[in-house]
Amino acid sequence: MQEATFLILTALADSSQHGYGIIADVRQISGGRVKLRAGTLYTALDRLRTDGLVEVDREEIVEGRLRRYYRLTPTGTTVLAEEAVRLRANAAAALRRLDPGLAGGMA
Amino acid sequence: MNGQDRLERGYRRLLAWYPRSFRRDSEDEIVAVLLATAEEDQQRVRLTEAADLIRGALRMRLRPACPPPRSVRGAVRLMCAGAGVQLAAAITMMVTAATVRAAVASQPGLAAVQRSQELSLLTFREIGAVLAVGVWLLTAWAISQGRDVARFSFSSFFVLITLTVLIGLAQHGASDAAADMIAGAAVWLIALAAMVLIFTRQSNRYYRQAVQPALNS
Repeated sequence: MQEATFLILTALADSSQHGYGIIADVRQISGGRVKLRAGTLYTALDRLRTDGLVEVDREEIVEGRLRRYYRLTPTGTTVLAEEAVRLRANAAAALRRLDPGLAGGMA
Repeated sequence: MNGQDRLERGYRRLLAWYPRSFRRDSEDEIVAVLLATAEEDQQRVRLTEAADLIRGALRMRLRPACPPPRSVRGAVRLMCAGAGVQLAAAITMMVTAATVRAAVASQPGLAAVQRSQELSLLTFREIGAVLAVGVWLLTAWAISQGRDVARFSFSSFFVLITLTVLIGLAQHGASDAAADMIAGAAVWLIALAAMVLIFTRQSNRYYRQAVQPALNS
């Protein structure tokens, strides 16, 4: 799974969000490192919707413009959880090899 | 026209690159997000934004409507392998062209007309080998995109490959160069395996599904 996809799913893990909210949240989650652009976000969202990982939660009209909220599907939640566990295991292995003392700090 | 209207028009012009069904569903929403993320005094689309939107549009247009099953992925890999073998054959033909032509020209007992025919046939085979590489790759791409018509184009290509191999055997038989026979047999076997894979039940189901979104885009 690409990092942008992982971060988008993470942004939707605890609540539904609209496009601008996802961009802001991804920036915050990544500590300002990942700045999603609209083209990247909506191409990823379109794929995630096709794959059944994300769905539309609701739509609102704010100041005359469409605002669509997205949420994780049960499949999306499972896929994200599996990916998070995989990444945690990889990170723990890397840290163990780099410095055995550091791996003890991993949850 | 104020600055924001100009900016919105610029965004919409770039969004025109996306598939129609996607624009119908999401264009207004993306424009809202683009305007929300734009700088306060921004009046024109930035180069980085334009590159991102065009990249997104290309990705959306080039990727298949739904992920292909294992059988189709296998067929695409085989077709790429077929293109590789065909390319190797084409390169060998190009490298040995002068030697082969010289051998034909100096062959005793050949009438001028026969010699001319042999040389024309060689040219035809060389051009055909290069074109075949393109056909293999183009078909592999179309097959991976879920285009049903590509399966039938590949079937015609398979018939052509079969006829070429059979004609080669009938004309030259055992006297044909061993390398030619092996390359021909390898290409034919790869094509046969790819044919079987694109017409499995799993592949048929995929192509039936893939046709629906394509009709709506």
